[in-house]
Amino acid sequence: MKLEKILSLKNKMGLHARPASQIAKLLAKTSSFVYFTCNSKTVDAKQVMNLLLLEANLSSKIKVSVEGEDAKAVLNELTQIFEDRFGEN
Amino acid sequence: MLIKPLEEIRIKGNPICTGVAIGKPFLFIFADDRVPEFVINMEEVGDEIKRYRRALYSSKQEVRHLQKQLELDGAHEGIMILDTHLQIMRDDLITSYLETQIRSTKKNAEYVFQFIMNDYEKKFSHLSEKVFKERIKDVQDISRRIMRNLKKSAKISLADIPMNSIVFASDLVPSEAAEAKKSRVSAFVTEFGGETSHAAIIARSKGIPYISSIDLKQIETYRDQYVIVDGRTGEVILNPKETTLSAYQALQYQLESHLQNLNKKGELAAETIDGYQVKLTANIEMLSEIDLVHKYGGDGVGLFRSEYICISSENFPSEDKQFQIYKELVLGMKGLPITIRTFDIGGDKGGSFLPQGETNPFLGCRAIRYLLREPEIFKTQLCAILRATVFGTVRLMFPMVSGSFELVEAKKILKQAMQELDKREVKYCADIDIGCMIEIPSAAITSDEFARQCDFLSIGTNDLVQYSLAVDRGNQMMSYLYNPADPSVIRLIKMIVIEANRNGIPVSVCGEIAADPRFTALLLGLGVHELSCSARFLPIVKNAIRGTSIISACRLAEEVLTLSTPEEVQKRLNTEYKNTVPHDLFHNIQSIEA
Repeated sequence: MKLEKILSLKNKMGLHARPASQIAKLLAKTSSFVYFTCNSKTVDAKQVMNLLLLEANLSSKIKVSVEGEDAKAVLNELTQIFEDRFGEN
Repeated sequence: MLIKPLEEIRIKGNPICTGVAIGKPFLFIFADDRVPEFVINMEEVGDEIKRYRRALYSSKQEVRHLQKQLELDGAHEGIMILDTHLQIMRDDLITSYLETQIRSTKKNAEYVFQFIMNDYEKKFSHLSEKVFKERIKDVQDISRRIMRNLKKSAKISLADIPMNSIVFASDLVPSEAAEAKKSRVSAFVTEFGGETSHAAIIARSKGIPYISSIDLKQIETYRDQYVIVDGRTGEVILNPKETTLSAYQALQYQLESHLQNLNKKGELAAETIDGYQVKLTANIEMLSEIDLVHKYGGDGVGLFRSEYICISSENFPSEDKQFQIYKELVLGMKGLPITIRTFDIGGDKGGSFLPQGETNPFLGCRAIRYLLREPEIFKTQLCAILRATVFGTVRLMFPMVSGSFELVEAKKILKQAMQELDKREVKYCADIDIGCMIEIPSAAITSDEFARQCDFLSIGTNDLVQYSLAVDRGNQMMSYLYNPADPSVIRLIKMIVIEANRNGIPVSVCGEIAADPRFTALLLGLGVHELSCSARFLPIVKNAIRGTSIISACRLAEEVLTLSTPEEVQKRLNTEYKNTVPHDLFHNIQSIEA
C-alpha cells in the first residue's frame, strides 16, 4: 500500500534536531519505506541527518509518502506527532 | 635549478629502549588530521566491519555515559541533544550503508567513514538557514567521536613492512608492538608514549630500540633518507653525514659483540664476586619467551603478565582455555618456578573489557580492584592456575594491592576456587605460595602487614615510581619527574625489604629498573634477593651481578640512601657501573658528535 499526505510544521523551530530524531525513532520500528519531500528535496525519513538537510521550518509543508504494509498506521502516527508539535510550544 | 642538499638533522627525544639502529623510515602516522587509507583483503572484510561496529558501540556508550553525567547536573537540554546524537548513530548511513561500502570498496573503516561524513558535512555547509547549517557541528562531533574510537583499534600490520624499517608513529598500542618482527622493525620513534607504557615493555622484550617524545613534522621531508636511532641517548639523526654513519656502524658492531660475549655467560651462576647468590628470573608475556629464559640461564619466571592472554580478544578465555596456556607454560619451565600474576586489567591495558568512562583509569578500577569486582572472572582464572600447579612449581601473585584487606578478599576467592575444584574432584597443589605486587605507596608503607600474610613480595617499580611521585607514566611534559632513581623510591624499596626480611620471606624487584645494570648493585645492597627482568636483559644483569661484590653493594646502598636528589643518585650509580663494567657501551654512554 502506498499513501501520500501533506503535513504542515506547526512548531516554531521547524524540523530541527530533536523532532528529526523523534521521527527517526518512530520510523525505526516500521518496515515501510518513508520519504519526505520539502524544498524540492526528497529524503529517506528514517535518517536524522537527511531530515535536517530538508531545512523545513515553521511555514514549510512536507509531502510524506509511505509505502508498505503498515502504511496507514505509520501515516497516522506521523500526523499525530506533527499535530502535537513534537511536544513543543 | 639548484637544489639545496638536505642537511644532517638531530632531534632529541626520550630514550625508551636502548640499542642503536640504522635504517629507512616507515611512516605509520595516525595524527589527528590524517586519515589512514589502505586496502584490506577479502578475508579481512568481516573483521574490519566488526572493528567498526565496536567503535560505534563504544561511541554510543560514551554518549550514554555523558548523558548520565548531565542528568546528575540536571542539564536536560544537553541530554536531549545527545539523544539526537544517539539517533544519528543509528542512521542507516552510519550503520548498514557504511558496512556495504567497506565491503564494496575494500578500504579500511576510517577511510570509508571519513569519505561518507565529508560528503554530509559538505551538504550541511551548503544550507542557507543558520539553525540547520549549525547542525554541522553535531555531525562533526559525532564523526570525531567515532573516528577516535576507530583509531584506538587502528591496525596496520607491522608484521609485513619492508626489512630494516624505522617505524615512525604518533603512538603505539601494545598489540602493534607485539606484532613487530625484529628483522623488519629496526626501531620505533613516536610522538607520545612513555618509558613504562606496555608497548615499551614489549619493544624492550624484543630488543627493539625505541625513542618517544619526538616531533614528527620534519620526518616527511626526509622520508627517503637513512635514519639513525640512538636508543641510548634518545637521539634521532635524519639524513646522517658519511662520518656520522660510519661512526654509528662501528658502534653497532661494538654493541653487538658485547652482547655476544655476554650471551656466552648464560651457563654461569648469578652470583657476586664474593659468592652471594642472586635469583635472576624473567618477566614474560608469551609462551614463546620461555626459550630465551632457558637460553640465558634464568632461574625461572619472576613475573608472567597473564593479562596478555586476553588483551586482544573480546572475551575472557574460558577456564579450560586458560588452563591449557598455564599448563604449557609450567611444563615449558622444565622444573623451574614460575610466578603467575593474575590479570592486571585497566590503566592502559584491557581493550574491550576496560571499565567505561573513568576519567583517570590509572587511579581507577584496575588489577586486583577489577578482579574483586568481577569475582567470577577472578575465580575462573584462579581455578585455571590452580589446576596448572600439579605440573611444576607455581607461585601466585596479586597485582596492585593498596591495603591488606584486598589480600584477605583475594584469599577468600582463592579458597572458593579450591572448594570448587574439590567438588569437581580436580587435583591441584593446595599450599601454593601467595604473594603481592607492592607498587602503590600505601602498600609499601604497610608492607609489614603484607609481609606477615604473604609467602613473598615483589616490588613493581614502574607503578611505584608513578604513584609515589604522582606523575603520569605517559605524560611527556612531566617525564622529567618520572625517575626511578628518586630518593623516595629508593627509600620505599628499603622499607619493603626490611619488612620482608623481618618476616623471613623473599622479596624481588620486577620493574624496569631490574633490567638496568646500573641499578643492580644498589638493589642487591638494599637487600633484594631476586631480580626479574625481560629475558633479553638477563645476560646484561647477570654480568653486572658477577662484576660486583655484596660488600661493595651494601656500601653503595648505604651511601645512596643518604643522597638527596635523583640526579645525585643517578650519577653515583653511573660511576659505580662504569668502574665495574667499563665495556658496556649500552649503559656507559658517550655521545657521537656530528
